[in-house]
Amino acid sequence: MNDLLVMAQIAGRRCAFPAHDVSSVIEVGTITPVPRAPDHISGITAMRSQALTVIECRRAIGFDPSQWSLDHRAIVVGVADYSYALRVDAIEDITTAMGEPGQVPGGFGPEWSRVAAGLIETRAGPALLINLPALIEEREGFGAAA
Amino acid sequence: MDDLLADFVAETREMLEASEGEIIAWEADPADRARIDTIFRFVHTVKGNCGFFDFPRLAALSHAAEDALADCRSERREADSALVSAVLAIIDRIAHMADAIEAGEEFLEGGDEELIAALAPGSEPAITAPDIVADDLSETAHESAPENSASKTEAAPDSASTAAAPAVKRPDNTIVAQRSIRLPVDLLDRVMSGVSDMVLARNDLAHRLRQAGTQPTIDGPFERLTTILADVRDAITRMRMQRIETLFSALPRLVRDLSADLGKQVMVDLEGGDVELDREMIETIRDPITHIIRNAIDHGMETPSERLANGKREIALLSISARQSGNTISIVLSDDGRGLDETRILEKAIATGLVPESKRAEMSREKILQLIFEPGFSTAEAVSNVSGRGVGLDVVRENLEKVGGSIKVTSTPGIGTLFTMRIPLTLSIIAGLTVESDGQRFAIPQSYVEEIIHSSSKALDFTHVGETALVTFRGNRVPCLLLSDVLDLAAGPEGRIAESESTMVMLRLASGDLFALAVDNIHSHGDVVVKPLAPAVMKSGLYAGSTLLDDGQPVLLLDVTNVAARYGLVSDARGRVLKSSEEGETATDTDTCRAMLFTDFNGRRSAVRLELVQRIETAPVSAIDRSGTAPRAIIDGAILPLIGISEGQLPEEKIRLLRLTDGTCELLHAVRDIDDAAELTNPLKPVDDDPMVEAVTLVEGKTIALIDGHEFFARYGEAPTDISKPICRLPETDWARTILGPLVKSAGYDIAAGPQKTADPASSTAASQTDTKRADIAIWFEEDYEAALALEMNFDTPVIRLREVPEAASKETIYRYDRDALVHALKEARMNGGRRT
Repeated sequence: MNDLLVMAQIAGRRCAFPAHDVSSVIEVGTITPVPRAPDHISGITAMRSQALTVIECRRAIGFDPSQWSLDHRAIVVGVADYSYALRVDAIEDITTAMGEPGQVPGGFGPEWSRVAAGLIETRAGPALLINLPALIEEREGFGAAA
Repeated sequence: MDDLLADFVAETREMLEASEGEIIAWEADPADRARIDTIFRFVHTVKGNCGFFDFPRLAALSHAAEDALADCRSERREADSALVSAVLAIIDRIAHMADAIEAGEEFLEGGDEELIAALAPGSEPAITAPDIVADDLSETAHESAPENSASKTEAAPDSASTAAAPAVKRPDNTIVAQRSIRLPVDLLDRVMSGVSDMVLARNDLAHRLRQAGTQPTIDGPFERLTTILADVRDAITRMRMQRIETLFSALPRLVRDLSADLGKQVMVDLEGGDVELDREMIETIRDPITHIIRNAIDHGMETPSERLANGKREIALLSISARQSGNTISIVLSDDGRGLDETRILEKAIATGLVPESKRAEMSREKILQLIFEPGFSTAEAVSNVSGRGVGLDVVRENLEKVGGSIKVTSTPGIGTLFTMRIPLTLSIIAGLTVESDGQRFAIPQSYVEEIIHSSSKALDFTHVGETALVTFRGNRVPCLLLSDVLDLAAGPEGRIAESESTMVMLRLASGDLFALAVDNIHSHGDVVVKPLAPAVMKSGLYAGSTLLDDGQPVLLLDVTNVAARYGLVSDARGRVLKSSEEGETATDTDTCRAMLFTDFNGRRSAVRLELVQRIETAPVSAIDRSGTAPRAIIDGAILPLIGISEGQLPEEKIRLLRLTDGTCELLHAVRDIDDAAELTNPLKPVDDDPMVEAVTLVEGKTIALIDGHEFFARYGEAPTDISKPICRLPETDWARTILGPLVKSAGYDIAAGPQKTADPASSTAASQTDTKRADIAIWFEEDYEAALALEMNFDTPVIRLREVPEAASKETIYRYDRDALVHALKEARMNGGRRT
């Protein structure tokens, strides 16, 4: 297993996105807010002629984003034919996975477990492999405005 | 050679599609020469082409069919349903063979002879020499073969001339096909999105050019580029569009085959075949439509004998209509079969655990019916070979939702079922209007926009009735939504510009309903490229997509229909099935009555016949006037008698009222709760002890008192007091016209035109006499009034006297800028109906 991973900090934790799902990393321009959308959606932004849905990852997982810094770039991923721009604390590097994602006894905590695909060992150390569809999906029961 | 083969297959397919519908039409009317000619032309062309390519089996089949049809054309033979079936079977076989040729496979041996034998007339004695005719035709066919492959349009006159009968008219060339090529849809998509991006790049460039100022050397070519781009885009747009006819044309055949299999008689009625739809979308809805038709014929429709027994016509009607409404297409499939059985659906849903037993009583009929779209649901008792194969309506709904569409069902037992499918056009370029509210821009599809009115315009007459804002548009009161409320924009009431400053966009929905959307500003209109939004955003139901402005800023495209539906502004368009059931004498249950169920202020569950209910009103409690002997309420400027409520029962703020009418009289019935509209299917049991109750009946296992409409209107009914507005006469000064006039108008008065006439009989002409009579109230300035008094003028209308100064000289006058007092005086005068002296 030598899959490439895009590493990022989300809510102070190191996370990994499979590079296969990441189409690019962009500078975030103007974000148009979307009234009455779930609150983890910051809005939409344009990449060339495409509209991206901007996901505030910290809020999507269940944290308050104001506690962490915000990278001015965003990770663009494609999930089920739609493109999303993910806002995170910081985008770090691209690295190689060492082995298959595994589970940790006891899970990753209630917020993280929902979005985790598992623990993955990388050259840069252990990271939480993000399950993209779960991240983008609306959290239930968190009072998201919908 | 391969290219030629592909052409052959493609051409055969196209002609097949074109002739499917024709064949069914022909069966319905065997004497229709034009149809026979079309089908004849098809088999003839196939035969010619086969000779060219050396497909002996295809040639034999088409030859046989051609012979039989030629007999019909020359009137040696009657076209009957056996012949139609035989010809259809051959055409099917031709289609299969064409498929096999394309795939490069060998078609299975055998079977052709039976098909050809089936063509032979069973009991036709009139045929004398079919062989000779066949030889004749095959000769001419060989001659025409090369021409056919060159251009199929030439086949028409050619084949017409082969017909021996002189009576054959030259048929209209219904399938004059243009030269066509086949392209993979992927390629189309790429071109399409390429052009979309070009439009955006152009817009961006235009924006920059504008910033840079006029530069003649650049502007000229840029203009040209714009024009060319517009043309290209237009062509591309059409490239993707296809008439829904291509889907419809296969349906008569499907219906015919199904109904023949199931021993039912079904007539199919297609409407709206010219609606254009994205090619891809047509493919997406093909299966859902087929599925619903299968269901309708298999489960929905009764056998002819059952239908007769139920007093319906033995031929069932299946009607399918397509309509474009803005950026959605709605397809309505309705049948006049037995309708959906809600009890069985509910039982099944409970049995399969879809609905918990405890919820049984809470389910409304509407909700129960929608259960048929839930996964794992099928009420068919026996699995037939037509439907009920485990693929259910859930798949239909899923497929439609995947492309952003929706489906719902309504049904009346014994009358029929109606499926309404809504699918987006998803054509990515539409004309849009950009509006702004609270600093954010949104786009609205231009197709909905009826008119744009600045609300400072007097004609608009912005008012609030209950919680609903209303504007007057061309004499009609139209509900008005504030975009900032709809979207819950952050600025809040204080940051908002005044309602009177906003701009009204009048939007006309596909159902014909009109409403106003108040926005802060209008920006621009032009073509916008619609990009899909992520599902999480779409879920909010407010947006149809996003688009990019000239400067590359993304904006959201509002889903007008959904917004309107959310606020209950869409009237239910289910007239079609009802209409067609009126035409046929199919209305079996004439005495099932539809009623509005409600709970009155005494907590009694009651019902009123739906025909009596004009509207459901929500009024502020302040609209209720209890000063008189009988309570009254003011709704929409009319004073109506109010019943159903007694002292001490008034709710805090708002009250729900049923506005009942018998056609001329109106009255209001206060209700605590409105439950639902329902059908009263159980027997009505007359009640003797309460004159206000016509009968009691059971609805969902509970007793309901049905209100006696006759008794109600006999006791309380009265025509609304102002069918025409009362008239107020104003002093003839500029101040009165421009400042006082609008105020009086808003209080519900019309203003008397023309100069103020004295009521002095001596000076009044005939015209002014009638004029005088019509006025219900007059406003006078105090000094004029005193002067008139001094002249001993007769005041035959109540008079409101205005004074110039705030300080009161007498209590009977009102300071002319004391708005409240004025409005109060006007209202009082009106309540008294002009009886004040």
